[in-house]
Amino acid sequence: MPYLFLGPWLLGAIGLTVAPMVVSLYLSFTDYDLFNEPQWVGLDNYAKLFGDDPRYLHSVGVTLRYVAWSVPSKLLLALAVALLLNALRGKGQAFFRSAFYAPSLLGASVGLALAWRAIFDTWVDTPDHALVTIVLLSAWQFGAPMVIFLAGLQQIPRDLFDAAAVDGAGWWRRLWSITLPMLSPVLFFNLVLETIHAFQAFTQAFVVSGGRGGPADSTLFYTLYLYERGFTEFRMGYASAMAWVLLVAIALITAVLFRTSRYWVFYGDER
Amino acid sequence: MKAHGVVGLVLGAALLASGCGGGAATGGQTEIRFIWWGNDDRAKVTNEAVRLFESRNANIKVSTSFQNFQNYFEKLSTEIAGGNAPDVIQMDYRYLNEYAGRNVLLDLTPHVGKEIRTTDWDQGFIGSGKLRGKQVAMPLAQNSTTIVYDPKLFSAAGVKAPEIGWTWADYREAAAKIQASTGGKVAGSTDFGGTEDVFETWLRQRGKALYTDEGKLGYTKDDLKAFWQLSKDFRDAKATTPAELVTTLNAGAEQTPLGKKLSASEHSYDSLYGGYNTVRPDELKLGPYPSDSKEVLGSYRKPSQLISASARTKHKEAAVKLIDFLLNDPDAGKILGANRGLPANLKIREAVAQNLSGANKVIFEYQKSVDAKLGDAPAAPPKGDGTIYKLMQRKHEEIVFGKKTIDQALDEFWRDAEEALK
Repeated sequence: MPYLFLGPWLLGAIGLTVAPMVVSLYLSFTDYDLFNEPQWVGLDNYAKLFGDDPRYLHSVGVTLRYVAWSVPSKLLLALAVALLLNALRGKGQAFFRSAFYAPSLLGASVGLALAWRAIFDTWVDTPDHALVTIVLLSAWQFGAPMVIFLAGLQQIPRDLFDAAAVDGAGWWRRLWSITLPMLSPVLFFNLVLETIHAFQAFTQAFVVSGGRGGPADSTLFYTLYLYERGFTEFRMGYASAMAWVLLVAIALITAVLFRTSRYWVFYGDER
Repeated sequence: MKAHGVVGLVLGAALLASGCGGGAATGGQTEIRFIWWGNDDRAKVTNEAVRLFESRNANIKVSTSFQNFQNYFEKLSTEIAGGNAPDVIQMDYRYLNEYAGRNVLLDLTPHVGKEIRTTDWDQGFIGSGKLRGKQVAMPLAQNSTTIVYDPKLFSAAGVKAPEIGWTWADYREAAAKIQASTGGKVAGSTDFGGTEDVFETWLRQRGKALYTDEGKLGYTKDDLKAFWQLSKDFRDAKATTPAELVTTLNAGAEQTPLGKKLSASEHSYDSLYGGYNTVRPDELKLGPYPSDSKEVLGSYRKPSQLISASARTKHKEAAVKLIDFLLNDPDAGKILGANRGLPANLKIREAVAQNLSGANKVIFEYQKSVDAKLGDAPAAPPKGDGTIYKLMQRKHEEIVFGKKTIDQALDEFWRDAEEALK
């Protein structure tokens, strides 16, 4: 009976996620070009990725730079605004919460990226600044982690703050010794989620660069290069290999984050 | 519990029904799908012509859709791969080999001269849709490379408008004067160094071609180096657009430097004049390419677009009928005008020429002025040209932004271009 209820979801998960993934794993070992029967080429695609494709390595560099800039700036903004809103308790908090969340709702939309393109016209067209504009665009959409931070902040028992205040702890002291440790599980959750999202970023870069990763490849995100190889050059086998390398890389990085979490994430019931 | 089961069944049935319904014949009618790239203008006239076709062929229904050029081939390739190919497909010269080489286009040879009439055609032009002896497409219309320019800026700077016989040095000097006369606000020309179409025309002026008959690169490193140097000479002479504007090439007319009034002239195709004219009505003119050769202009009679049928169409007859109608029916010709360039059917071209206005008139007059100098189209570019087209643009960008020297860019271009042709 439980499987009956799970049925619709299972069908979707298997048919739309698992099966395509298995097929793409198979295709990554072939020279599939969309039109002809795929031919088995073994590890050729993978070997070429790391040995004979400077543009691929370049796209990895661009993506890492993007992740390294966009994730911290987005989380910092989200946390700062959440702290502000938390202090607002009852004084229009609901309004400001919605207002700050709005950009995230529009976030993935093409229209917004187009507007961004128009606003930062000359920046977007210079290689040294193009990536920065995309980082800004992503940081601006801090709504989702902000709401989660806010919920986390409201879970922290008031008496901790009251006790600290009685002991003479100032605002910074309370932030450092109470808020951040108590918030660390939420921070960890947001960090993992945003890191995974950042690696998969596509829409903004695609629209802002007109689908080319330009100018001069300065915004050639991993996903953009994957798309170009697959859908404009029809090298689907190669693109599939790229997708699998990305999947494994994200899994590894997430695992590393989880390993480090034991040193800095504090769950209330541990000690 | 039961209710859920019923809902599930109904949903399932609905899904199945909708899955099977697409594209199937309805009520004894044949339904075919026709797709093209273009803008709203083109959609308007094309749909009008298709409605006329339907009214003459009551048993055929044609569903249509269009995209802009960039998305078109991505959508087309996924549809074909998904076994959902449209029946009638607008094709690009540059992609002809890419698709025909993968056997997805119907060989029209048995129909040419029969169901697809060709008596009123330039016979050489028909060949531009032929690959390895198979007619995989029919050219829809003809266009040629051209310089689109702003005559007011040319005369304000006291320089002569483009005319047959002017050289690249003439162009550079004129462009520098224009740029100086506007205080540097408007560039004299749009940087052309990353555009393969310009490179091709320039190569032809020197008696070479983009590709050999075997589908290899038809030029040497030195040729490309000289071309990139030519573009650099324009930059050094302060006669062309700054680096930031280079990236907006190959977009719609409204996004090009000339369309945005940031440049006085740019290399383009005459068939794109309609788009320019929408952005800057009656402000721009067409002129010939500069050439250092007295005899050769380099421009040729290019099929601006071609039309093909899918090799997997279930309604071959209807597809072929629609193709012939769009190419050869006088009424369809009247509706379509010069929207895609000069009509391939010479009688229709003549009829359209009788009744010209606006952008169409400018295009026809330009073609007439250079007709004696136009060459025949080369064989369609090989598979991989689409990749090389973008590669050239990218490498040129890296030069312009100072990320690479010409020689570095050249080496990288060469390696990747040869790889793309494998």
